[in-house]
Amino acid sequence: MPSHPLRVAVVCSSNQNRSMEAHNILSKRGFAVRSFGTGSHVKLPGPAPDKPNVYDFKTTYEQMYNDLVRKDKELYTQNGILHMLDRNKRIKSKPERFQSCKDKFDLIITCEERVYDQVLEDFHSKEEECSQPVHVINVDIQDNHEEATLGAFLICELCQCLQHTDDMENEIDELLQDLEEKSKRTFLHTVCFY
Amino acid sequence: MNYMDEEMPSKDKNPPKIIDMTTSEKVVDLLNKAALIPTDEKLTVLKQVQELIINKDPSLLDNFLDEMIAFQTDKSIEVRKFVIGFIEEACKRDNELLLKLIVNLNMLLRDDSVNVIKKGILALTQLYKVALQWLVQSRVISGMQEACWELITQMKGEVLDLLDTENDGVRTHCIKFTEALIIALSPRTPDSEVPKRQENDISLDKVPKDHSYIRYDALCEEGKTAVEKLLKFMVHPAISSINLTTALGSLATIAKQRPMFMSQVVQAYETLHANLPPTLAKSQVSSVRKNLKMHLVAVLKHSCSVEFHVQICTLLQDLGMPQSEIARSTPSLREPRKRSR
Repeated sequence: MPSHPLRVAVVCSSNQNRSMEAHNILSKRGFAVRSFGTGSHVKLPGPAPDKPNVYDFKTTYEQMYNDLVRKDKELYTQNGILHMLDRNKRIKSKPERFQSCKDKFDLIITCEERVYDQVLEDFHSKEEECSQPVHVINVDIQDNHEEATLGAFLICELCQCLQHTDDMENEIDELLQDLEEKSKRTFLHTVCFY
Repeated sequence: MNYMDEEMPSKDKNPPKIIDMTTSEKVVDLLNKAALIPTDEKLTVLKQVQELIINKDPSLLDNFLDEMIAFQTDKSIEVRKFVIGFIEEACKRDNELLLKLIVNLNMLLRDDSVNVIKKGILALTQLYKVALQWLVQSRVISGMQEACWELITQMKGEVLDLLDTENDGVRTHCIKFTEALIIALSPRTPDSEVPKRQENDISLDKVPKDHSYIRYDALCEEGKTAVEKLLKFMVHPAISSINLTTALGSLATIAKQRPMFMSQVVQAYETLHANLPPTLAKSQVSSVRKNLKMHLVAVLKHSCSVEFHVQICTLLQDLGMPQSEIARSTPSLREPRKRSR
């Protein structure tokens, strides 16, 4: 096993559904996990596809919850958004933007290619400090409750396998290929430097 | 109260001494504690000591150096890694400490744990530049300084040789070391894109050609050899996707910071694109191509890549980038660098 628990970040667009589902499961399994969104705003489904509820990253899950209860309690109960926000506020107070985080991780898992690109772009826009590597892996997950749950289990399996390696960096390539085959998915994988 | 009567006058008379003693006593106390506690707590305590003797009161650094370095034989990997970080910070704070501590770093680079070795390579990446700058600035070089530089040069050679080691993570670290070495051992030019953090770093143009000990020509050759070594490493048919990705990024950094290598970098990108290692899995090919695209765009934006625009744009097209996007990323020759108001 590595000499210390892996520091993991799970990143989606709004830090609501996919990253929070994974955050929830990973923290229950004892990982040192944080979650983030890369979007410029936090978006939640609204009454119509072209009318999302948009918040900034300073808004707490609690405030969003209260806002949606006020707007249409029935709709947001029925589509599961209130349930999700209720789960989220038990994990942390508000969504966090990846680009604003100064902490370092060993592993960053993104939930869609666009988010992966944004994470890479963020690393390249910042100056390198100490050349410490961080592995970035993309696992494509559709943004709905069911896929988020399935995706979170896959992310969890990935993290558990990596945590149990003697030397993560030396084994990660092979391990990802095995998991790709097992899960019938493909992962993007790169290394960035702090 | 007695307490007040005693404290106040002495504080007024000689405040630094009291602070010194307090800090020193605190360090002794923390070091005594550190010897007896489990790893997690030990790391917290040692970090406190580091903060006290490097940042708060560096005059204490010399006094407690041996006690801190003694932890390099600790059974915990994390503690040994901490000692490496401490060596790096201590030498940055007081360059003279390189004379003593480089031996310890050399020892830690031979550790049983690859994680300790990797941390050692990261520290040497920084300390190589620090040592070179320190020697360049010294008018007279002592025998001890010569011995120190000889050891650093030897360590540099050993880390470069580790590019061929079996461990993938160690190789990744060696690539980053090679990148930094190339940047240090080549001259900065007016076209160099220098990151703010590295503005004060040593580079070959700051090495006087008539220095009493450091040989400009020899360093220049070492820099060029390192470029060759990196390029050779990149075309190894069994290179891992992560090492390939790392090398692609290093080449982009080198091209942007040292445009004299632009031609070699563009050529390496072309060769790689035409001959991706056969060992890569399908998804790894996608990851590598994505990285190559990103680095090509970064190079395309550099003012010194103009004569290679045709090659770069062809590569980007082959990698699936739409023409409109390529055009957007291509700086116009007529366009001034900064728009004047």
